[in-house]
Amino acid sequence: MMRRIVAVVLLGEPALTDPFGAVAAAAELAGSGRAEAILLARPEDAEAAAAQAAREGAAEITLVTDSGLSDPPQPEHWLELLAGLLAEDARGMLLLLPGGAVGEELAARLTMRLDAVPLGRCGRIVEDGARLIAHRAAYGGRAELVLETGAPRCIATMRRPAAPPKPAADPVIRRADLAIPFAADAPRPEVLPAAADRPKRVDAARIVVSGGRGMGGPEGFALLRELADMLGAATGASLPAVDAGWASVSQQVGQSGAFVAPDLYLAVGMSGTPQHLAGIAPHSRIAAINSDPEADIFRVAEVGLLAPWQEVLPRLIATLRDG
Amino acid sequence: MQVVVLLAGVVDPKWRLDRLGLRPGTELADESGLPRRLSPFDEAALETALKLRDADPAVRVTAVLPGDVGSDALLRGVAAFRPDRAFRFDTSGLAPWDPRAAVRLLGLAVGAACGCPDLVLMGREFGDCDDGVLPAALAEAQGWRFCGLAHAVAIADGRFVAHRIRGPREELLRLPPPALVSITNDRGNRLRHPLMKNVMLAKRGPVEVVTPQAGAIPRAVVARSLAVVPPPQRGAGACRILSGPVDAQVAELAAYLRARRQAAAP
Ligand SMILES: Cc1cc2nc3c(=O)[nH]c(=O)nc-3n(C[C@H](O)[C@H](O)[C@H](O)COP(=O)(O)OP(=O)(O)OC[C@H]3O[C@@H](n4cnc5c(N)ncnc54)[C@H](O)[C@@H]3O)c2cc1C
Repeated sequence: MMRRIVAVVLLGEPALTDPFGAVAAAAELAGSGRAEAILLARPEDAEAAAAQAAREGAAEITLVTDSGLSDPPQPEHWLELLAGLLAEDARGMLLLLPGGAVGEELAARLTMRLDAVPLGRCGRIVEDGARLIAHRAAYGGRAELVLETGAPRCIATMRRPAAPPKPAADPVIRRADLAIPFAADAPRPEVLPAAADRPKRVDAARIVVSGGRGMGGPEGFALLRELADMLGAATGASLPAVDAGWASVSQQVGQSGAFVAPDLYLAVGMSGTPQHLAGIAPHSRIAAINSDPEADIFRVAEVGLLAPWQEVLPRLIATLRDG
Repeated sequence: MQVVVLLAGVVDPKWRLDRLGLRPGTELADESGLPRRLSPFDEAALETALKLRDADPAVRVTAVLPGDVGSDALLRGVAAFRPDRAFRFDTSGLAPWDPRAAVRLLGLAVGAACGCPDLVLMGREFGDCDDGVLPAALAEAQGWRFCGLAHAVAIADGRFVAHRIRGPREELLRLPPPALVSITNDRGNRLRHPLMKNVMLAKRGPVEVVTPQAGAIPRAVVARSLAVVPPPQRGAGACRILSGPVDAQVAELAAYLRARRQAAAP
């Protein structure tokens, strides 16, 4: 018997920018009519979400509501809900959670609760009879690892595939109203008040202006922020720029940072390492300012300006201000 | 207070990976000739542990590096930071692909460091083949409290106070021991420099190796292949490098950015 391919949607999770991405991935993987979606939501959000899941290709939709879910929901509560829902279900399945910190943490923890096999952040999964062949990046995106498992229960995270999803015409919708108690002693995060100068969220921006080690100090980043403001953009950074304290942890883009999918990514003073590029959606256009003609960033950019940023940014800001 | 820091090491990311694969007939990655170093997240986890000890001398730091003999140089580098104990947890001949098996081994590694740790620290990703599964799965398997992707940890009133940024929010979690916190890089946790005297001492000193008493660990995942891949193709192909006087190039880039701003406008 073929295993179920089930995507999870965590509605109302503020850290997710593409909550339905895993549904589109499940629909592509499973082929038409087979992908299922489990939607976890507060009751008021549920109906619209079911329609959206069908547009993303889910043929069977389970709407799980829990009026006890707080706003925003606690990750520990997501975990309890999913574990409660799936623990008794002995059927073979591949569960897909959305990419990003929350989906990845849940996926990993859930595997232990469900006695499942974690496959990690997969680029592609293929069914080979009862077995799954999972393709994953390794060694900082420089290598590809192909894993094989026959385990009946597997859990992975996947992002939205490039091809648009085929909507499901006539989805079967089931409803489950749960009241899973949220352990009183589970740690609840205290949300700190947002600082007035908090950077604009990088993973939701249409344009990202990003700086790397080549910025050399905070002054260059101040110019990047000025430029970003003029373009309505968010400011991103590479890992060394975050390490240096020129940008905040939330601005780090890459395999170990935010995944961004802007229309334009302007990369300034960064070399274009695979670890960094892994955080930029393949369809995003890249423009680059770099003083080294050999920099790898020019291999992936569509427009490049070969000069030190010190000669470019002040002029660029002045030109944009004038017109 | 027992703090265990699990370190993975990575192949130096600056090194060109020309050939990387599985050793013929095995599932072991052939990394021969490739230098290993701590990953930025290993470094951040180690620095976090050392900072906790700086703040409270009752904290005892044990650094554990799973690996084979090829990791001994790295372990000496770690020993130069003077954790209270540093050892290699011998994983020779074991393929790391099955995360559940890896979690079992890491649990044994922590057990070899101390019976009941108060805090286990790991980088947000554990080595070259993990994308963040192992810290969360290990915590869950052991029944420890978990906080992922913290950039700072302190101790207050017997609890670990972890700071993290998740989506639009900066959060603070107070975890009672035992807890596992995975660490992401930040300016505040850049690894200090070791004293030269301690580097020399660590170079000369013995390396402690602990061999797991694991028995056979069941595995459900096998590696079919491991291969170097070129970076994915992007865009239309060749990059248009702007030319002419700098002012003309800047004007052209400004026009391009204006057009993109217009296209991106809602
Ligand atoms: C496990 C692991 C995970 C990682 N995850 C990430 C991640 O998520 N994100 C990430 O970014 N990195 C990550 N890294 C780090 C990664 O390997 C690189 O170190 C990093 O991406 C390099 O950042 P960079 O391009 O800013 O710096 P560099 O590679 O040093 O490049 C600096 C560039 O600036 C240019 N430059 C210098 N001066 C000027 C000037 N005046 N004007 C214009 N250009 C100038 C140089 O020509 C050069 O191209 C990770 C590493 C590891 C081991």
